[in-house]
Amino acid sequence: MTPHRVMFWQIGNVWIFYVLAGLATGLFLAGVVAYVSVWKKSSRSLEIPFSKEALKRMILDTFLGRRVLQGDVAAGLMHLLIFWGFLSLFIGTSLLAIHHYIFTFLEGTAHLIFSFGLEVGGLMLLAGVIWALIRRYLQRVPRLERRLEDAVVPLWLLLAALSGFILEGLRLAVERSPWGGWSFVGWCLSGFFSPAGAEGLYPYLWWGHALLCLGFIAVIPYTKLFHILGAPAGIYLQGASKPIVLGMEEGAGEFDLGDAIFFDGCMRCGRCVEACPSVGAGEPFAPRDFVQALRQALWQEHFPLGDIRFMSPKEESKVDENFWYCTTCRACLEICPVYGAAFEVVTKKRVLAVEEGTMVPKLLNQTLEKLFKYNNPWESSKRKRGAWADGLELIDLTKRGAEADLCYFVGCTTSFDDTAQMIARSFSKVLQTAGVNFGILGKKEPCCGDIARRVGELGLFEEQRKGSEELFDKYGITEVATSSPHCFHTFKNEYPEAPFRARHYTQVLRELMAEGKLRFKKGVEATVTYHDPCYLGRHNRIFDEPREIIRAIPGINLIEMTHYQADSLCCGGGGGRMWQDLQGEVKMSEVRIREAEATGAEILITACPLCLIMLEDARKAAGLKEPFRVMDLNELVLQAL
Amino acid sequence: MTEIRIIVCAKQIPDPEAPLSDVSVDAEKMEVIVDAPQVISPFDENALEVAVRLKEEAGGKISVLSLGKKVSDTVLRKTLAAGADELILLEDDNFENLDSHSTAAALAGAIRKIGDYDLVLTGRQAGDWDSGQVGLILGEMLALPCISLARDISIEDGNVLVKKNIPEGYERVKAQMPALITVSNEVGELRYISRTKMLKMMRGARSIPSWSAEDLGVTPEALQQMGITALSSPPDMGRDCELLEGSPDEQAEKLAEVFKTLR
Ligand code: SF4
Ligand code: SF4
Repeated sequence: MTPHRVMFWQIGNVWIFYVLAGLATGLFLAGVVAYVSVWKKSSRSLEIPFSKEALKRMILDTFLGRRVLQGDVAAGLMHLLIFWGFLSLFIGTSLLAIHHYIFTFLEGTAHLIFSFGLEVGGLMLLAGVIWALIRRYLQRVPRLERRLEDAVVPLWLLLAALSGFILEGLRLAVERSPWGGWSFVGWCLSGFFSPAGAEGLYPYLWWGHALLCLGFIAVIPYTKLFHILGAPAGIYLQGASKPIVLGMEEGAGEFDLGDAIFFDGCMRCGRCVEACPSVGAGEPFAPRDFVQALRQALWQEHFPLGDIRFMSPKEESKVDENFWYCTTCRACLEICPVYGAAFEVVTKKRVLAVEEGTMVPKLLNQTLEKLFKYNNPWESSKRKRGAWADGLELIDLTKRGAEADLCYFVGCTTSFDDTAQMIARSFSKVLQTAGVNFGILGKKEPCCGDIARRVGELGLFEEQRKGSEELFDKYGITEVATSSPHCFHTFKNEYPEAPFRARHYTQVLRELMAEGKLRFKKGVEATVTYHDPCYLGRHNRIFDEPREIIRAIPGINLIEMTHYQADSLCCGGGGGRMWQDLQGEVKMSEVRIREAEATGAEILITACPLCLIMLEDARKAAGLKEPFRVMDLNELVLQAL
Repeated sequence: MTEIRIIVCAKQIPDPEAPLSDVSVDAEKMEVIVDAPQVISPFDENALEVAVRLKEEAGGKISVLSLGKKVSDTVLRKTLAAGADELILLEDDNFENLDSHSTAAALAGAIRKIGDYDLVLTGRQAGDWDSGQVGLILGEMLALPCISLARDISIEDGNVLVKKNIPEGYERVKAQMPALITVSNEVGELRYISRTKMLKMMRGARSIPSWSAEDLGVTPEALQQMGITALSSPPDMGRDCELLEGSPDEQAEKLAEVFKTLR
């Protein structure tokens, strides 16, 4: 006899099984339809742009678990075990169905390989699920929550897998077929049962197992298991192209399909919670909770079956108060398995809050007024802009006939803040030494619009963008170097029609170095560490240039902090946080300065005016004294020339 | 709750946030020149904010009055964007540099012309001259109960309940409506008005009515200009900075020495 499988062995009333299967599928589909209906109502269109890149990424991420492995190998392996275990059992069952109803092919060798494969799949699933339970309940990995479904889902899988194996054991105990050994787990278990007992027990356990498996399918849309569908969809959509900056009329504050699916694809893994500097500083904001709250809000608003409440009005208003904490540092996106950019959703919510007006924090309200009136967030005057350059004899590009190869865009903070002005003076001197023909915009320099954009004042941002573009155009400026990664980011990524090329000063210095115009004659004997500004590093992937410059200085020893490059910790100044007095238990900048100090470096170097101010203040507040210092890269470079 | 009608008086002034360096004095023309954008006086914005909140609660109508020789409707349209229903500019050549009494007289004329109202709100004082008189005189002229320095305003059974600042804290005061209240900053900032909202309001075709002295029934003779008898730039205070070096103890000692010499 060729090896084969007996279908519905010992099972009567098979029609009941079909009814149950139909019911499970119905429940599953009803859930999916509910999701789609919510997505449809919460976003303007269901249009899905086609992108090969995104498709490739979705497939690779899903099947190789790349995003889950990244940064947490244990979690990644555990997930791969469950994923492939579950998938192979699912495929196996589907093959069996084809074999039974469509054409017979699982016979002979095919059957043996099939049996063996299923055993391995089942074991992987078991191992993965047990590992998951250990991580969550014994190891108590901090980023994991312990809600009811977090226990129910893995236990369900565990029972399904175990009952499957035992069933097999029972069957084999009776069959004792010569090829039974291929189903090695079941074969081992079969030794525990007498044929008669096994035969009696089998139908009961079979129905239990069937109920578990069918039930599992039915609950997918109603638990976090939905990420089986939601996560790949989310991964695909986050990669698909989106317009860079939407205007208010184009629905800037509205969610799109990608957002809605991100909320539903989020499986509360908590990686973002671990990465978020706001959480780290003990502030009442966490990206996961924010995303989940928005998810509930969307379902509340668009629930297909009438009115429903998932959140109390108090919880809702808490969400609205707390999203101002996000610094838009991008750390969450860096590690979210579904590429969820919580901060972009935060910005959308801010757009709505700014439009509505009453929930804007007081200091931010004043800052926005100031930004509009004086085109900078610091001084109630346009006059003092450019005062930092007194005595440096720089070209003012807005003067008649002035010309230069490079426009140094100083930026608001570097222009007005006493600490940050150091950046402008050092950078200018470095450029002068390197023989670069450059100029500034003096009193006429505008705000790039970063703050307005980050806090959701899009009308103001558009005005500022238009104003800047016109100004650059008027003075024929095509090359721009910025002090601030924020201005750089805004120009580079959010001025789609920019008539100029913007670079951050680190890029300019790196190029001068390559051209041999920047030579370090003196050395600096010091051990230093480098803080990656979020908008230079994570947002624009400039990790190497500053480090290459630092390493080129003779005598310097560059060491890294625990968090560096894409993993860097935010100083707390971005996303408009500089101009809000939100309270946390500790300051983000303090967390960061402690980390810098712990490296044993004497100098903490950074390349952003906001980082410089935040970290210098934190150094003072933490009482860290000389020789430990905070320095802008330009200052260090200037010392070494 | 019955609807309420509120009149808010809002003054346009140069931004009081402007630093001293942007303020200069023309001694000959007897003019203070402030190189700063025009804004609505901050306390008047506070008054508008309470008005809008009261309207949101009870429904009703808000009219904003702004008086001057020339009032910029681009500045004042912010009140409409914030939730006022009507903006009336009181513009007349004779309204230049009015003293508090005359300003109140002109405003009283406008308020009588509107006729139907429950509350008149003004800021506790204007952000330029800080006299704090117009509101109170206006109350007197209109023969209204008058409460100054409100930090909280609510309406109950046709009465207005006010928490009024006093040096020791606040008093709870109740008055019948119509009443006049001068509003302090504790009520809260005016909600943020986004640029999109402002631009929409600017583009809006709505024409803003402008009433002259004649419309208000005030004769030019009744209006008193503020007289300035002498005007000079503030004396240059001259700053001298000396850094005290040494350990904290030494620095403290040196500082004490400096203080002793100043006595
Ligand atoms: S962008 Fe940064 S601060 Fe904002 S939610 Fe993400 S990790 Fe937190
Ligand atoms: S937002 Fe992303 S990282 Fe955060 S809990 Fe959800 S899936 Fe995990």
